[in-house]
Amino acid sequence: MSKAVPASVTRLIEEFARLPGIGTKTAARLTYYLLRAPDEHTLALSEALRDLKTSTRTCSICHNITETDPCAVCADENRDAGLICVVEEPLDVLAIERTGTFTGRYHVLHGAINPMEGIGPDQLRIRELLARIGTPDVREIILATNVGLEGDATAMYIYQRARGKVRITRLARGLPVGGDLEYADSVTLAGALDGRREMDGD
Amino acid sequence: MHITHLSLTNFRNYARLEQSFPDGVIILYGNNAQGKTSLLESIYYMATSRSPYTQSDRQLISWLVLGDPLPFARLVAEISTAEGLKRVEVTLAKKLVGKSYRFVKEIRVNGLPRKVMDLLGQIRVVLFLPQDMALVEGSPSERRRYLNITLCQTNPDYCRALNQYEKVLKQRNALLKQLQENDQRRGRRSDTSQLAFWDEKLAAHGACLIAGRFRLVKELETRAQAIHRDLSGQDENLRMRYEPGFDVTDQPSGQMGFSTGDLGASALPQLPQEEITSLFIDSLRKNYALDISRGITTIGPQRDELRFLINGYDLGIYGSRGQGRTTVLALKLAELTWMEEQTGEPPILLLDEVAAELDPHRRGYLLERIDNVRQVLMTTAEPALLEDMLHVGATRWRVKAGAIEHTD
Repeated sequence: MSKAVPASVTRLIEEFARLPGIGTKTAARLTYYLLRAPDEHTLALSEALRDLKTSTRTCSICHNITETDPCAVCADENRDAGLICVVEEPLDVLAIERTGTFTGRYHVLHGAINPMEGIGPDQLRIRELLARIGTPDVREIILATNVGLEGDATAMYIYQRARGKVRITRLARGLPVGGDLEYADSVTLAGALDGRREMDGD
Repeated sequence: MHITHLSLTNFRNYARLEQSFPDGVIILYGNNAQGKTSLLESIYYMATSRSPYTQSDRQLISWLVLGDPLPFARLVAEISTAEGLKRVEVTLAKKLVGKSYRFVKEIRVNGLPRKVMDLLGQIRVVLFLPQDMALVEGSPSERRRYLNITLCQTNPDYCRALNQYEKVLKQRNALLKQLQENDQRRGRRSDTSQLAFWDEKLAAHGACLIAGRFRLVKELETRAQAIHRDLSGQDENLRMRYEPGFDVTDQPSGQMGFSTGDLGASALPQLPQEEITSLFIDSLRKNYALDISRGITTIGPQRDELRFLINGYDLGIYGSRGQGRTTVLALKLAELTWMEEQTGEPPILLLDEVAAELDPHRRGYLLERIDNVRQVLMTTAEPALLEDMLHVGATRWRVKAGAIEHTD
C-alpha cells in the first residue's frame, strides 16, 4: 500500500480483506467509512469484535456457540431433550430455528467428514454425540447434515455407530416450496421421486 | 449436425476469426504453424470441454494477450442440428477467485449460462488425429480416456457418474492414505468401518461406468469388425476385449447364481448394474489390506483395460504398425456410425493430418465411407492428395497466420 496511507489504516484494510467475501476495495471502503463514522459507533464495533471471542464459548452439551453454558436451547426445559437434530455448522441451527416448528435440541458437529481435507470422525463432535445418545432419555436423532458427498458420508458414519441404540432419521430430500417441476434440476427431481410418499387424506 | 458459423477471439493464434461454414467437406491447407489444427481444436474443445493437446486451459489463450491484466479467449459456434439451431459459447478468462487469479470457463448455450457438464453433447464430434494411431499400442489410460470422451458426448448419466466417481475416488484414496499412516504409526490395523460409505458410492458410480463401457465396446466391436474385414481382406478377425479393473474370478462360484470360473472377468459386465455394484463392493472389501498398505484404491474402472485382438493375438504387443493403423481407422469409423445411430444424426468429423498417416488404399476407403457425414473438416499440407479421391467437391480454405483465405 502507498506511503500516503497511515500504517494503522493499512492494517485494518488488510484485516478486513482477510474476511470471506471481501476484497481489497471493499476493505478500503469499510475502513474509511469507519474513520469518518462517529467515535462511539467505531468503538462499539471494536467492543463487539472483542466480545465475540472473549464472551463466547461452545456449549458443553450441544457444542453450539453460546455465551452461557449450557446454551439457551439446552437449558430450556420446554425443549424436548429426547429429540436431537444433528447439524454440521452453528449457522444450520439458525436455519432450523427459523422454521419455528422444531421443538427438540441440537448437536453441532463443526464440519463434515472430508478425508481430502484431513477431517475424519475424530475431528468432529461425533464422540460427544454418541455419548449423548447413550443416555436413556434420547429417543431420536435427526441427521440434518448437508446433502452431498461429505454430508452423506458423515450421516452414514453416525448411522453405523448409533444403529440400534436410538431411532435415526435423515432429513427428506425433495423439491423446494413454490418450485416449479420444470425448473427443478434433474438430481433433485430424481431424489424427490425416490423419496415419494403415500398420499393420506387426513 | 453441422457448424454454420464459428467465431474465435484470442484462441491460440486466432486473434479474431468470423467464419461462416458450409456443410460437406472442408479442406484446411497451408504451411505448418498457421492455425489449421487450432481450428479443429477449437471445435473439439467446445464439444468436449477439453483440448486433445493440452491439460491446461491457459495455453489455449493467445500468447499475445496472456500478458494482459485479465486475458480471455472466446469461442462461439452456431450449429444446425436435428433439434434446430443452437448457439454455444465458451469464454475462458483469468478471474479473481477468492484471493488468487485463475482461468475460469464460462459456458452459455443459446444465451443461457450452463455448467461444463451440460456442454457435453451439444456439439458432437469424432476426432481423428495422427497420434490416435498410438491408441492401440499406447498406455491403457489413453484407451480409457477415449471411452470416456465418446460416452460423455452421448450419455449424460455416464458423464455424471464419471464426475462423481472421480470425486469419491479422491476421497477414498485420501482416507486410505490416512489409514496407512495410522497403521505405520501405531503398528496395528486401523478401523476400516469408515471405508464402507465410500465403497458403496464408488461401486454404485463405478458400476455405471463399467456397464457403459462394456456396452460401448460391444457396439464398437461389431461395427469395427466388419469395417476391418473390408479393409484388410478376409483373413483377419478383429476383436475388442474390455477388461474391468477388478478381478471377479476369485469370487466364490455360484454366489451370484452363476459360475465365474467358466466365464472369466469378461462375463462380468453382462450382469445387471446392481450385481456389478455388489461384486465391486465385495472386491473392495477383500482388498482393504492391500489398499491400505499402498494408500490407494487398487481396483476399479480407473484400472480398466481395453485390448484389441486380431485372430486372437493382442495387437498392442504383437501387432505391426500397419495393423494398428487399420484397427484405429476401423475404430473411428465404427465410432462415427455408432454415434449417428445413438443420436439420430451424424456427428461432425474432424480429421487432422490423417492423409499423411494413411496409405492410398486406407485413405480412399476413409473418404468413401464419410460420404454421408454432414460436415467434415480435414487439415492437410497437401490438398491435392485428398481432392483426387473425393466423390464430391470440397471447400478449400488456405489457413495462414491465424486467418482463412478463400482460394476458390
